[in-house]
Amino acid sequence: MKGHDDNHSPYDDNVLNENLQAYSEDGVDLTLIRWMLSMTPAERLQTLQQNIASIGRLRDINSDS
Amino acid sequence: MISTPIPDFLAILRTLTEYKVDFIIVGGVCAVLHGAPVSTFDLDLVHSRDPGNIDGLMSALQSLDAYFRGQGSRIIRPTPRHLSSPGHQLLLTRAGPLDLLGMIGKGRDYKKLLKSSVEVHLSENLKVRTLRLGTLIDIKEETARDRDKAMLPILRRTLEEKSKM
Repeated sequence: MKGHDDNHSPYDDNVLNENLQAYSEDGVDLTLIRWMLSMTPAERLQTLQQNIASIGRLRDINSDS
Repeated sequence: MISTPIPDFLAILRTLTEYKVDFIIVGGVCAVLHGAPVSTFDLDLVHSRDPGNIDGLMSALQSLDAYFRGQGSRIIRPTPRHLSSPGHQLLLTRAGPLDLLGMIGKGRDYKKLLKSSVEVHLSENLKVRTLRLGTLIDIKEETARDRDKAMLPILRRTLEEKSKM
């Protein structure tokens, strides 16, 4: 009978894939690259513009204080 | 509170496309379009220096209210002569900084770069041409300025990750 396996931990699916390197040998964050590659070019451009906007807002707050 | 104008690269690209300007996106925005997690505050383009294209580019720049940045209080507008040169025109527009590059690397102009470029769809009615990532890496290697060298590891790893997809 198929049923719920009591030995199956609900957290098993959250185990990190250790085969996926987080950093390259020269220190590049590969997780950021994979995240960017998961987007379309239009979404990547939007992300860049949002980053610039965030930095601009931080700069404005800093110049105001 | 001081408000800082935020660059809108999409607005610049839309305007250039509306005026049917031939250009290739290079530099940081090119890297981002290919998936490299880098940041940049200007849009670098290599434009065709054919006379017909310069006319369209002049109209687009007027629409964008472009002028040379870094000239203090003087407002100097780009002219066809500036845009026909192989030099780099560093402009400020109402949608942010725009660098128009007649030539990059070792003598690479629009015509030479065209075969090393690809089309990218940014929306249903906005299609732009950008340099291939491999060519961008080649050019940054041959330019070898400190800022180019700093970006190279990220570009190389992005190309590697893309090849695994």
